Amino acid sequence: MSRFVAAASLDEALAALASGEAKVLAGGTDLMVQLRRARLAGDELPAELVDVNAVPELTRLELEGSEPYLGAGLTFHNLGSAPQVQAKYPLLAQAAATVGSVQVRHTATIGGNVANASPAADGLSALVALNAVAHIASGQGRRQCPLTELITAPNETTLAPDELILGFVLDPLPGSWGQAFYKVGRRQAVSVARLNLAVCLERELKDPRVVLGSCFPTPRRLGDVEELLSGGQPGEELWRKAGAQAASHFTGVCGWRESAVYKVPAIAKGTARALADAWSVLEDQL
Amino acid sequence: MPPNHLEKTGRLEFTLNGQPVSLADVPGEASLLEVLRGRLGLLGSKEGCGVGECGACTVLLEGRAVNSCLTAAWQAAGKRVITIEGLAQGEVLHPLQEAFVQTGAVQCGFCTPGMILAACDLLSKNLRPSDQEIETALAGNLCRCTGYHDILRAVKRAARWIREERP
Ligand code: FES
Ligand code: FES
Repeated sequence: MSRFVAAASLDEALAALASGEAKVLAGGTDLMVQLRRARLAGDELPAELVDVNAVPELTRLELEGSEPYLGAGLTFHNLGSAPQVQAKYPLLAQAAATVGSVQVRHTATIGGNVANASPAADGLSALVALNAVAHIASGQGRRQCPLTELITAPNETTLAPDELILGFVLDPLPGSWGQAFYKVGRRQAVSVARLNLAVCLERELKDPRVVLGSCFPTPRRLGDVEELLSGGQPGEELWRKAGAQAASHFTGVCGWRESAVYKVPAIAKGTARALADAWSVLEDQL
Repeated sequence: MPPNHLEKTGRLEFTLNGQPVSLADVPGEASLLEVLRGRLGLLGSKEGCGVGECGACTVLLEGRAVNSCLTAAWQAAGKRVITIEGLAQGEVLHPLQEAFVQTGAVQCGFCTPGMILAACDLLSKNLRPSDQEIETALAGNLCRCTGYHDILRAVKRAARWIREERP
């Protein structure tokens, strides 16, 4: 049996986590499934569940300024519907709106999504494209860690048992960038993504970002695709080439598995489409 | 109330369908669904999958549709929970319930409580939902029987009744 601790402040939460025997309960959408499995299997349960939903620091949302900040306790519903997020990071708002179902979006949090590091998590690709840096606290102090280093393998992170993700600092994409999110899943809702893409472009095609999620153990930027795009001539031809490159990146890393039969063409077309979408956002601004 | 009031009494207290409830000895890992069904005897909320895929366990927590199988019971502490049992006013069905009955949107009925509460959340924000908005709002609710078509019709009908303030 787990003891339930409702933390009213950050200090309380960190103190409760200090034992190393406690689990953070944010939305609960992943944790409750894990607990259910453990119970069915007769495995040991965590000594304590630390509910962090009432910790004020975790729901801060401040996107202005040079260090746009997103609290880890914001739900996908919060992110998908906040006008600030829609205006500045439409990619993240779109990704948030495709996570799970209405019911899941009401409770699941972006911090929980990261802490659980599901390879299929939709929120992660968007954060990686935005160069998110996680701000992490424990009773020992604080640290910052880029998302790509925090998540090391499927369902694995460098988070210690006494650590809590407070939030994420995002790239303050200067000026106007075109952003797009694209997802292929089995069912409109609930489906865990089979493939998702997050793309950010600016007009000169400097520093383009192409993140492919759900296809690799951890979401990753496709460096070779980004290189191909850099300084290229924007248009269908380039998007198509980038798509082909993304597909070959995938087979290069993952080999030709069964799922490649649909994934390879889906990656090629999806990448081209996401790039075209992101570019059309820029064109609309002209 | 401070969240940790619960540690002082050790009792889980919340408002269920307008009535206060107070329960002793609720383990931290218990889901709200387990408590509703097992401890409080409200069998309207169903367990289809237990892992957030089917929506049969949907309840309103502070007015928002959530999967009660994915919600720790203690997350409801100090909050308002509405289940399907709390929608009708005495003998008068909620417009959504009435519309589901009249439209034939219920076959085996297993998905119905969850569907109705998810729809209830939608209509509390949007009384003129498009088909697509209804589909999005109900996308987390599976129905094995109806093919969804009549469910969509029922939701629209209920929305119209509520707009026209008819039962
Ligand atoms: S029982 Fe909760 S979503 Fe299926
Ligand atoms: S009526 Fe049978 S599952 Fe929907």
